[in-house]
Amino acid sequence: MPASSETAVDLPASVDLHARPAADFVRTAMRFDAAIAVAAPAGQADAKSLLSVLALGAKGGSRLVLRAEGADAAEAVDALAGCVAALRD
Amino acid sequence: MASTVGIVVVSHSSALAEGLVELAREMAGPAVPIEPAGGRAGGGLGTDADRVRDAIARAGGGGGGVVVLGDLGSSILTVRHLLERRANGHVRLADAPFVEGAVTAAVAASAGAGLDDVVAAAEGARGARKL
Repeated sequence: MPASSETAVDLPASVDLHARPAADFVRTAMRFDAAIAVAAPAGQADAKSLLSVLALGAKGGSRLVLRAEGADAAEAVDALAGCVAALRD
Repeated sequence: MASTVGIVVVSHSSALAEGLVELAREMAGPAVPIEPAGGRAGGGLGTDADRVRDAIARAGGGGGGVVVLGDLGSSILTVRHLLERRANGHVRLADAPFVEGAVTAAVAASAGAGLDDVVAAAEGARGARKL
């Protein structure tokens, strides 16, 4: 049975999840084998799909819920939560 | 990372190609070679096979091959003719939307994806909705 992991993290207040921050997020997600979904106020996206993540239009300060499934799910969620918290515009 | 895939964007307009390179570089960072090939050598709109060839050579420096994206019609034909004459598996034309495909491909390349995966990332942008 694949491992699953979930956590919530808030975008820094001054950082919208667009352009370069979104690319940083997706690049981090791509390092893991786990399937990763990110839920934002406007919907849900595949964390490895740049265009889907951009389409979320997540604004600074909004809450993201990260859910991963797969052998490295826990590491993926930890790394992505760290990535989000460290994002800068 | 053993090798990095490069990206070439071919447009009728020099300004359009350069603007897209600016955007893609901002998102992919400095590790991915992203090169423009836009307009005619003497100025004006059009596509120039020599410019495309030079851009492919510059973008190939990462050693992982090159993915080419074109804007419309004759820019695609120019690339196809070029690749038919010098067919090798290391330069691939992606059937993808110009802006979304280039940016997606560049970010995939920056994550260390190989040539097949970067082409697939670009072509996967075809179905993306904006709304």
